[in-house]
Amino acid sequence: MILFRTILLFFIVITPLKADTIYNLIKIPNLEIYNINTKNELRYLYATKPFRLGFNVKKNINCYNSDKKILDEKYKIIKKNLDRYSLNFLKIIGLKYVVLCENLSITGINTAGIPNNKTRTLILDIKFNENHFERAIHHELFHIINDNYKELFDKNIWKNFNKKNFKYSKCSTCNNNWNLDLLDEGGFFTEYAKSTASEDMAEVFSHLIFYKNKVYSNDPIIEKKILFIKKNVLKIDNTFKF
Amino acid sequence: MIAKIKISKSEKIILIFLIILGVFTFTSLIILKNKCLFVKNYNPNDIKFDNPENVVILNAECGNVIIELYPNISPNAVKRFKKLIKLGAYNDAAFHRVIENKLIQAGDLEFGKRENLNYGKVGTGKSGLGTIKSELDGKFKYYKGSVGLARTFELNTEDSQFFIILQNEPLFEGEYTPVGKILYGFEVLKTIKFIPKFPIVPRPDFINSFKMLN
Repeated sequence: MILFRTILLFFIVITPLKADTIYNLIKIPNLEIYNINTKNELRYLYATKPFRLGFNVKKNINCYNSDKKILDEKYKIIKKNLDRYSLNFLKIIGLKYVVLCENLSITGINTAGIPNNKTRTLILDIKFNENHFERAIHHELFHIINDNYKELFDKNIWKNFNKKNFKYSKCSTCNNNWNLDLLDEGGFFTEYAKSTASEDMAEVFSHLIFYKNKVYSNDPIIEKKILFIKKNVLKIDNTFKF
Repeated sequence: MIAKIKISKSEKIILIFLIILGVFTFTSLIILKNKCLFVKNYNPNDIKFDNPENVVILNAECGNVIIELYPNISPNAVKRFKKLIKLGAYNDAAFHRVIENKLIQAGDLEFGKRENLNYGKVGTGKSGLGTIKSELDGKFKYYKGSVGLARTFELNTEDSQFFIILQNEPLFEGEYTPVGKILYGFEVLKTIKFIPKFPIVPRPDFINSFKMLN
């Protein structure tokens, strides 16, 4: 019995020590600080080695460290885009950490970013589709907003904006609606927007933010969606400027 | 007449060896074993403080750690901290989590007290007073010697556990509720027992007493 207790104690006590401050904060290994002295207090971290993790399912997220030159180049673009959000807005929506890595994938499917509202973290693939890279940053940021304010961004209200016979896919990757090029017809900005209500909202938000006044559509469905996004984002922060 | 016997070379070597052995034994037993030998113990009565009502004294094996609390930065956290100190709740609490040159954590009042230390649960215990909200808006730089309240992975779960950092931690700013900073006795903390690569210290050091200055 004493031997059993001793062995049990040995296994309880001997667990690997994670002295890594970043790991303790956001539970992502192999990261280092890129820049934490930013005006809106976003903390940019980068992968020094590949990492695997799982937010909800077991270890299904992979990302890799990047070349310093690419990292420096993409950091500037990402920062320029995220600087549009004030410290106050980021506090309200709950975003604090931005992780920069490349070839980000979830269950083997490449993705531009993975938000985690619990850890206030947004992982961004710095090598994501060059044509849509900047807009995708805002798209992913919207998922943080959406996750924290689900009651405002009601999917059922949103679905009613679409034509009656339209149905979203069961998930964002179910129907291979990958195309992010401007579609601007039938109530959707892109083909990808047809995948799920939350992806559709994120597409509207990202077009609004990235293209500002240049992308407004004559499509009445898109007009309604734009109004909905604007109205609810302003409910979160009435000082927010589109 | 007794003839003077000259000491041989081998005897000289043995004598030198014995002297070295004696010195080594003395050093090992007295100097090296006494981790407090070169640690200065500050007497708070000899020091004049600007805000004595916010000064608390943590007494550990090697002496006093004098901490100034910052109620202007974290009013609720400092109120909770002072309450527990005044109740004597931290006396005999273990320094249960010690990471070399990085951090010292103590204050588990449920599973981390000397009389009922529970290695399986230490670090998860509560004070019985409930949790308090995180106070993260005040500008506070987590420099070496800063004291903050520990929490779980979630915000607003601060209770009685606190930590003292042994190096600057810029990432702690805005993450952990600060309560104060060490004024004197940082060296005492460097003597707190730790085991490399172990998150929880087996047979840890304890807080002897934790009191308000006044």
